[in-house]
Amino acid sequence: MSIFDGIISGFGIALTPMNLLFGFLGALIGTAVGVLPGLGPAATIALLLPITYSIPSPVPAVILMAGIYYGAMYGGSTTSVLLNLPGEAASVVTCIDGYKMAQQGRAGAALGIAAIGSFVAGTVAVVGLTLFAPPIAEFALGFGPPEKFALALLGLLMAVTLSGDSVVKGLIIMVLGLLFGTVGIDPISGKSRFDFGVTELQSGFDFVTLAVGVFGLGEIFYNLEQQGAAEIVTTKVGQVFPKMADWTKARMAILRGTLVGFFIGIIPGGGAVIASLVSYAVEKKVSKHPEEFGQGAIEGVAGPESANNAASSASFIPLLTLGIPSNASIAMIFACLLIKGVTPGPFLIVEHADVFWGVIASMYIGNVMLIILNLPLVGIWVQLLRVPYSILAPVVILFTMIGSYSIANQAFDLYTLIAFGVLGYALRKLKFEAGPLPLAFILGPMIEGAMRQSLLMSGGSFSIFFTRPISLTIVALFALFVVGQIFVSVRRSSR
Amino acid sequence: MKRKIVSSLVIALVVAFMVPAAFSQDKFPSKPINVIVPFAAGGSSDLLARAVEKIWPKYSPQPLVVINKPGGGGVVGTEFVVRSKPDGYTLYVGYGSGHDVVMPHLQKMPYDTYKDLAAVSRLSVHSVAICTGAKSEFNSIKDMVAWAKKENKPITSSVSTKAGAVDITITALGKAAGINIVTVPFSGGADAVTTLAGGHVMIGGGHPSEVMPHIKAGRFKPLAVALPERDPSLPDVPTLIEQGFNVHTWGSIKGVAAPAATPKEVVEYLDGTLKKVCEDAEFKKLMTDLSQPIMYQNGADFAKFLQQAYGDYGKLIKDLNITIQ
Repeated sequence: MSIFDGIISGFGIALTPMNLLFGFLGALIGTAVGVLPGLGPAATIALLLPITYSIPSPVPAVILMAGIYYGAMYGGSTTSVLLNLPGEAASVVTCIDGYKMAQQGRAGAALGIAAIGSFVAGTVAVVGLTLFAPPIAEFALGFGPPEKFALALLGLLMAVTLSGDSVVKGLIIMVLGLLFGTVGIDPISGKSRFDFGVTELQSGFDFVTLAVGVFGLGEIFYNLEQQGAAEIVTTKVGQVFPKMADWTKARMAILRGTLVGFFIGIIPGGGAVIASLVSYAVEKKVSKHPEEFGQGAIEGVAGPESANNAASSASFIPLLTLGIPSNASIAMIFACLLIKGVTPGPFLIVEHADVFWGVIASMYIGNVMLIILNLPLVGIWVQLLRVPYSILAPVVILFTMIGSYSIANQAFDLYTLIAFGVLGYALRKLKFEAGPLPLAFILGPMIEGAMRQSLLMSGGSFSIFFTRPISLTIVALFALFVVGQIFVSVRRSSR
Repeated sequence: MKRKIVSSLVIALVVAFMVPAAFSQDKFPSKPINVIVPFAAGGSSDLLARAVEKIWPKYSPQPLVVINKPGGGGVVGTEFVVRSKPDGYTLYVGYGSGHDVVMPHLQKMPYDTYKDLAAVSRLSVHSVAICTGAKSEFNSIKDMVAWAKKENKPITSSVSTKAGAVDITITALGKAAGINIVTVPFSGGADAVTTLAGGHVMIGGGHPSEVMPHIKAGRFKPLAVALPERDPSLPDVPTLIEQGFNVHTWGSIKGVAAPAATPKEVVEYLDGTLKKVCEDAEFKKLMTDLSQPIMYQNGADFAKFLQQAYGDYGKLIKDLNITIQ
């Protein structure tokens, strides 16, 4: 069956009333899950898994779950922009410029561009999935520990660009992020580090809890202190849709975000969170006005929001063609398929062509549903800003608590959430930019683990990073960045 | 009149007190049963729990509710069950996993997994299957050992976790065969298997449910299973013992446990219902699809089996001098 025949038959399957309904439900639940801070797609899919037992065919079940997963990427930007509260892990970086835009009365523009960027990226990624899934999957398998090490190192270099005016403060935050990342069982030695005898700490801090605490709760605590100031923030709504000037600025950011997201999404262990963070760094790097970043640059919303959607769709490639689940949500979809008697992998396209093409076709339809659902919602969401802060704040805190608890069903995460909230408040008071914190937190353990795994593979020789083509290319890119940066600073200081 | 009111009040009160008493004496179970999986959703223990969850209502008036409580390599969720009310409404699925049979040999535990929990039934045993890439020149463990001896080079192997069942099994094989196997630990079976699929290591170990998709796809060649006898889910793959290497482990055991003080008749009810589930045709089909062999044992036999597996791992860990310092 050619790709063309396949996708036509896929649309035949995805357009049946039953599958359309499940696709719509997925888009709807996904949007809601994305909007609610802390509550992520992985926890939601886990909750819904038992319901899929009673759905006779695997196709609608997977269409539903896939819809929740990529739908969450649409909704995730909402509270990031309006409340500085990441609605979903992959929308952490959207807080930085999105929230600034909201404070300037451009919340509608930020949300509008996020929705449009999500649609473009989601659709482009599904086209990529349709046309090139098998060869891309083979390429992605080439990323072993040495390649992941090099990539994560490059990412950490980019984390510096996330810092605000002061590079020193940025580095301090980065080190803090790296330190938080070391808590828990060290995968290489099996030894638990910095757990202080607390069993819950052995699995380390949770990324969502950290991000929601530092960004969201920190902001709320800070606002509560500013009598009256919070009211100003919450009454400006501004125009609802992006202006022509915004669109011109964001166009290329959306395209770059899509490419970055797609590429990172296919790598096992990559995923939407890293994609969005890297996209932000890329946007700031290529921008002619990097000083606008952190002050409400629309590219800082458009890029990452496109990247997380592209990545979430791209992560279906290793699942559908290799049977490799690359993150927690995809692992749940994997589980759902197995329980339905379908083994994802190279034979899926042959043995269960209906699942393969039906799900892909549903993703085209799902993206259209999501943009239709989300664009009008922008107008409604911005009205949230009119709610008095004294009502909004406690409601939001309650939702973050529910979301945090849902991750591992343990009360301990509530304490860490509050602790991170206090940390976020302190950083805010001391005028630190928290941006590099989540990136360093994710990349630190990746760098450490992948480096030690690589050295185990090579018998302790560092040559492993320079003798493998992909790894060598990334290391060279890293060197180029560093040398270029030094060159620029030397020229600047000599002037 | 007054008397009538008083007497009717007394009757009402007596009835009011009797009703809950009558309900509590009602046959177990009278409400849904929580099943704690101490690992993330989507993993092999979770899949097993969800397969049981799906079939259970056929044989019990009350459903199971699967709750994932991951953390601390399984300790967080298990401790939750240990400390919960021993009434049979909070169960633990995955009893016999690494944190029950391996971890207590290596570190201090916040509870005694054998004294604080009552074995209900064994459902499955997830053996360690040793695989290599399809393009590898190894077709058996003997090939691999011969190559390592001839080239005098170490064999690299991806393993799910440090000092986990797969790590211990492969390290033990290296010692028995007299070759150097470097185990590269990851943070879970999926990562380890993906690394082998990318050809970044020479061999890798995983449970059948993890390696089966790749074996079916022709990407992996299974070389051996480490059980004393062949694994029903990989019937064509010889054991290490068959290939002349005196190494066996019990992989990761997957059973059900309840808090130790749970009433005996409740444990018996749970065990009996799980037995019916294990004999159910739909469940058998489901477990075949998941590449998890059904290896049912009743509570008493399972408790004895666990002691044996725990002892065997202890001996291996001592012989191989494995520590996590």
